[in-house]
Amino acid sequence: MDSLQPNTITDSETSPDSNHKKRRKITHPQNPLNLMPWRSNADQQIYSLRLANALRRIPRPAAQIRDTADRVLAATAKGRTRWSRAILTRRKKLRIKKVKRAASGLRRAAIGRRKRLPAVQKKARVLGRLVPGCRKVSFPNLLEEATDYISALEMQVRAMAALAELLSGGAPAAHVLT
Amino acid sequence: MSSRRSRSRQSGGSSEISDAQITDLISKLQQLIPELRARRSDKVSAAKVLQETCNYIKNLHREVDDLSDRLSELLATTDSNSAQAAIIRSLLM
Repeated sequence: MDSLQPNTITDSETSPDSNHKKRRKITHPQNPLNLMPWRSNADQQIYSLRLANALRRIPRPAAQIRDTADRVLAATAKGRTRWSRAILTRRKKLRIKKVKRAASGLRRAAIGRRKRLPAVQKKARVLGRLVPGCRKVSFPNLLEEATDYISALEMQVRAMAALAELLSGGAPAAHVLT
Repeated sequence: MSSRRSRSRQSGGSSEISDAQITDLISKLQQLIPELRARRSDKVSAAKVLQETCNYIKNLHREVDDLSDRLSELLATTDSNSAQAAIIRSLLM
């Protein structure tokens, strides 16, 4: 029945405090990322409904849909993670500023960390550009943000695909969203 | 997770991050990526994990873009109210 979801874990909208990422080195109060927080049915349904709602009110261009989808995704994250906060506050102007800041990130790399090989460092930087708002975070934070971001993206894909199926199929495909 | 103070070493810089924690985070990341899930972590280097992560995220972004295109076409042709009703109906079933 859960053809789209590998696991059905229980609802994890529960502990916002333990996931609150501050500017410390690592924050691991109890469980850094509640196991697979984006895999639950409830999360996906909440996201689907919010997305559908949001899409009703906006014009059609695909870029806006992508943007809306991202923002609803970030909102569903409830500000627990850096990438979600970054999406919610991003505007075109800030993107220009981010380009400038990336240059200073290169200088940091020259100083070099003891345990990071150059290859790893380069890839970490690429990863930092892919995850919103994570260009200058520390390496462990980046890894944490990336894991959460990937789960969220997977959920986003599942939800949008289900939505598309629903809209194109016409007939209510009940199993697709549950 | 054990307290980070007991595990971290005093490295030269200001960071107190231990190798073990990094390894742990990387293996968690590895579990998420379909390409690497089957392999054991001792055979996959950190660079490879990061590389595959970047690829995977790019793939996901592309999927989201494709789905956005598809949704924009569908929304153009469907009445938004009936779409909304269909969604709610399917969620309630």
